[in-house]
Order: sequence, then C-alpha cells, then structure tokens
Amino acid sequence: MTSDEKNFIEIKGVSKHFGDVVAVDNVDLAIKKGELFSILGASGSGKTTLLRILAGLEIPSQGSILIDGVDMTSVAPYNRPVNIMFQNYALFPHMSVFENIAYGLKKEGLQKESIEEKVQKMLALVKLEGYENRKPNQLSGGQSQRVALARSLVKEPKVLLLDEPMAALDKKLRQSTQFELMDIHYELGITFVIVTHDQEEAMTLSDRIAIMEQGQFVQIGSPNLIYENPRSKFVADFLGNINLLEATITEQNDKEIVVDCAALGGELKFDQTEQANASEMTVALRPEKVMIEKNIPTNDDQSHIKGIVEDFGYFGNLSIYRVKTESGHVIQVSKQNRDRVEQSIKWEDEVYLSWDNDSLMLLGE
Amino acid sequence: MSGLLVNTNNSIRENLWRYFIVAIPYIWLLLFFLAPFVIVFKISLADPIIAQPPFTPLFNESSDGGFSIYTTFDNFLYLFQDSLYFVTYLNSVKLAFIATFFTLLIGYPIAYGIARSPQPTRNILLLLVVIPFWISFLLRVYSWMGILKTNGLINGFLLWLGVIDQPLELLYTDTAVYIGMVYSYLPYMILPLYANLVKLDVRLLEAASDLGAKKWQGFLDVTLPLSMPGIIAGCLLVFIPAIGEYVIPALLGGADTLMIGRVLFDEFFLNRDWPVASAVAIVLLLLLVLPIVYFQKKQAQETSEATA
Repeated sequence: MTSDEKNFIEIKGVSKHFGDVVAVDNVDLAIKKGELFSILGASGSGKTTLLRILAGLEIPSQGSILIDGVDMTSVAPYNRPVNIMFQNYALFPHMSVFENIAYGLKKEGLQKESIEEKVQKMLALVKLEGYENRKPNQLSGGQSQRVALARSLVKEPKVLLLDEPMAALDKKLRQSTQFELMDIHYELGITFVIVTHDQEEAMTLSDRIAIMEQGQFVQIGSPNLIYENPRSKFVADFLGNINLLEATITEQNDKEIVVDCAALGGELKFDQTEQANASEMTVALRPEKVMIEKNIPTNDDQSHIKGIVEDFGYFGNLSIYRVKTESGHVIQVSKQNRDRVEQSIKWEDEVYLSWDNDSLMLLGE
Repeated sequence: MSGLLVNTNNSIRENLWRYFIVAIPYIWLLLFFLAPFVIVFKISLADPIIAQPPFTPLFNESSDGGFSIYTTFDNFLYLFQDSLYFVTYLNSVKLAFIATFFTLLIGYPIAYGIARSPQPTRNILLLLVVIPFWISFLLRVYSWMGILKTNGLINGFLLWLGVIDQPLELLYTDTAVYIGMVYSYLPYMILPLYANLVKLDVRLLEAASDLGAKKWQGFLDVTLPLSMPGIIAGCLLVFIPAIGEYVIPALLGGADTLMIGRVLFDEFFLNRDWPVASAVAIVLLLLLVLPIVYFQKKQAQETSEATA
C-alpha cells in the first residue's frame, strides 16, 4: 500500500460495550478504496459487532467511523452509502425474489422502469434470470445467497459488508461461490468488507486480512504476509497448521539471538530484530516446510533430525505425518503426493526430517 | 415368513392406534358440536306449540302405524320477513366489527411492546394481560357500570377537573358496549398477536433499514404483512364471541342496543318460541362460519402457493 492512496474507510478508536462486556476494544483500521478486506476471528471476537457498527446497526460507545471522508458515526443505517449481506441472508419471506431485490430501489423512490432494469441487471450478475417470481422458501441455499447478494448490491453502495457470506453453503458450493464473489468484486470495484471465521475463505478471497481476538486486531496484512510472518503464537496457530515448539534463549546480542530448542535438536540462530524480554520463546515451523524421507538427507544446508512415524493421514493430494522425534516431541509434517505410487512411509517407520533454517520463525507470546 | 407376519400384525396395531388418536378430536366434535347442532337445526324446522317440549316433533306416528316427517321453513322465512331480525344481525355485525377494530388498534401496540421487551419483563407483562381472567367475567363487566354511570368514576373525575359541567351519558349507550367489549376481549387479541410478533426475525427489520427504510416504513413493509396471520387469528377470536355477545350489551347497552344475543335470549326465555330462537342461532352460525371458511381457504391457498 502506498501512502498517497486515500483511506476509504477509517475506523478511529472504536469501542463497543454491551453492559460489562467489551465486544470491540479501541480499534483502529484503514481500508482502501476497492479493497477486498476480511476480518477473521473466532466467534465472540467482536468481528460481527464491528461490521454492524460499519452498517450503522450498532452505535459505537467510543470512537468514530469515516467512509469516503464523511463522518458516519451516528448516521442512521438507511442514510449510509453502505449495504450489508446478513449471515442467514434475512430475505423478506413474504416478497418474491424481484420484490426483495427491488426493495432498496423502491425506498429510494426510483421510477418503475428503472427499478425493473436494475433488478434485471442484478439477476443477470448473480445468474438468477427467470427466478424473479419465486419466494425465498422456494430457493436453495446457494440461490438465497445470490438473492441476498443482489439485494445488497443493487443500490450500488460504496461499501458492501458481508457477514459470514459462505457459512450456510456446503463445501463444494462454497469454493465456486468464492471465485464468483471475487469476480463480482473485480467487476464492480466496490469496497468489500467480509467477516468470517473460516481462515481458508479469508485467505482465498482477501487482499488483506485483519485477525481479531477479544475485540482487538492482533495482525493486519496480506494473506501471504500473515501466513508466513505471523506476529504471535496466536496468529500462527489460528491461520493454518503449524508446529509450535518450546525454546529457551541462551544468548542474545544486537545482531542475533540463540535459542535452545530440544524438539529440533539443539541450538538455533535467528537474526535479531527486536530484543526479546522473556527467556521462554516459541519456534514455529509449518508442516509443509518440513521434508520427510527414509534416508539421511545429504543436503548440507539443511538441518535434520531422526524420528518415528507415530500416525499418518492420507488426504489424496497430500499426506500428513505425526513424527515422534528422538527427544520425544511430536512434529507434524505434510507431504505432497506427487507420484502415483503406494505410500512408501508408514506407521512405525524410521524417518529423517529436514528443513531450511529460513522456514523457522521465532515467536514471543 | 414368521417375521413378516409379526411385522404386519405390528403395523395393524400401529394403524389402530393411529386411528384411535386421530378419532379423539372427531368424537369430541361429533358429541359436542355436531350433535347439538343437529338438535338445534331440528328444532328450527318445527312449529312452536304449548307443550313440553314446546315444539312439534319431527317424526309423527300416524294412526295406521306408519311414520310421517313434519318440517317447516316458516321460522327462517319469518326471520327474513320481520325486519327486526335483519336490523339486529346487521347491528350485531357492526358492533362486533367496530369492537374488533378498536381491540386490534389497542392490542397491536401492546402485543408489539411485549414481544420487543427483554425476556424476564416479557413474562411479567404476559401475566398482567392474563390476570383479569382470574376474576369472573360477569363481575368485571358489572364493575364497568360503576365506572361509567352518571355519578361514576369517569364523570366524577371530569367534573372535578372542570372539563364538563354536566355528567356525560356513558352507561346504557353503544359506547359503553364498545368499551366493555374491547376491555373484555383484549387478551384474545393480544395473545395470538404476541405469539406471532415474538417470532419475527429482528434482522429482517435491520435489512429493511439497511436498504433505506425508515423505522415506520420497515414496520409497514415487514412487520405488518408478516404479522397478518396473528391479526386474522386475533380478529376472529374477538369477532366471533363479540357478535353473539349477550352479557355486555345486556348490562352496559341501552334499550336500543340491538344485538342478536339479546334477541336470542328473548325468543327463548320470554317468548318461549324455541323454533324461532333455533333459527336465529342457525343463521348466526352461518354468518360466522362463512368468513372463517373463506379465511381458511385463503390461508391454505397462500401456504400451498408458497411451498409449490
């Protein structure tokens, strides 16, 4: 992100309290125009509350919201240039598909012809031509989702908010819908803010992700950045699979930091970026970055340890191994099944694990 | 083979159970609705006589041992010839209709308020709606006489305020009947409306608001149409007893408050004309059944359309 790009949505010091519960805790966030931004968090992390604050359905206890430079903090939902797609779609059950999509336009007081035209355009966009007279209870889950999407897009909002847009769809449909959603985002150029608990969904869809925990953002960045450079144990653990291994600092100076990590066979050196103030650290290693083989690795650049396969799972495209090292630690390894052969490594096999030292991450709390 | 046999035996037994359970409401309706209806209908086809019972029998044993059947439509024709009955029916419908309208007007906001209040408060409010039922209906209507009469509570209060200098004529008027009916039947309106409104998904209102609807527009576009089944149920529950109401017009109404319940009472107990009284009752029943059947059909049509 270059600094001259104007922030389109600005959330400044926003908090929301429900009685004694702090749902959103002094949050700052800037989203660029046209961005597809995800807020990722477990249930109860405050992500939906933040989305509802953007929609105007909740008034923040503190702080302010700016959209396109205009203060929206206490503007009523019906006056905001923002539309929301609800988690279970909230389609009006007594209205047809056409009436549902046309509702927002009718409230704008548009002419009948122009409503007709815009609704038809939306139906084409979400590929639901010919469904205009159906009632919501005559639609499948995927069709309902498309109607909800069309209904929230038809007013051409500056920002579209999506609350768990895929949660009610089955896995296959979810994947194809994700790509369609990205297409629509690209086509319309509207800023999307998606709230989800599904890390895979957030990773595939988003330009940037904000990970939320207990009402605060713990890390904001591109999916790649967050996955490869998690700032904390929590983020590393939350996004994908990871081995989190205990380590103790033995030496540190301005340039480097040396830790003793029993699970990975002893001393490891890391470039020093900031002074660690605790002596107990965590070394993190993604399972797909570990090589597993039966013979001793010959590559001198890599470190390796010996272990025994305790458990393994076959997933078709990849296999996941749980290997017990000589030190008694368990390390998870995933291996792409590139060859069409029978699994060569099985239970109780003696194996060697190796990795690039660049793949290791040193994390504090 | 034997397994199959046991199986069929079981399914027969199961079917018997099913028939038995389904039969219970039918037997109930047969005994306490159809049978009395047939008896009343039979009486409405007879002539009044001074005897015990005071109407001609349906079957006559003739002297040669055979049977003859005697029926007459005179009673029904009489209802149409004497304009009193027509006017009374019309007036009953009018009174019941207006009373139902005001009950809805007052009951809807109450039901809405209860449905929107937090859970613990909700139960207390519902209890408050039902509590008047613990006191006898007759007593409650009777106490309205004390409130409405010339030197009653309302007139006393208004005179004390100086708003009026002459007591208002409240008791023994149609207004008093409306007040009594709205007061008495309000819970029948509130309860079905509450049951409907409490189910309303608040997110639908949020969606409407998000799409540009102001609060009142969201109410008109979402809440009101979705609460239609509750409105119809509440209105029927009020309208049906209101149209045949006897106690309220008898106690609070004036001599000119014509209601079919009163006419029925007079025909039965004062004139001892059981056949005409029965005919009045049958016509009243038809008057009520027709709109109910119409609504039911309409609702069934809507649900089948929605699920088709």
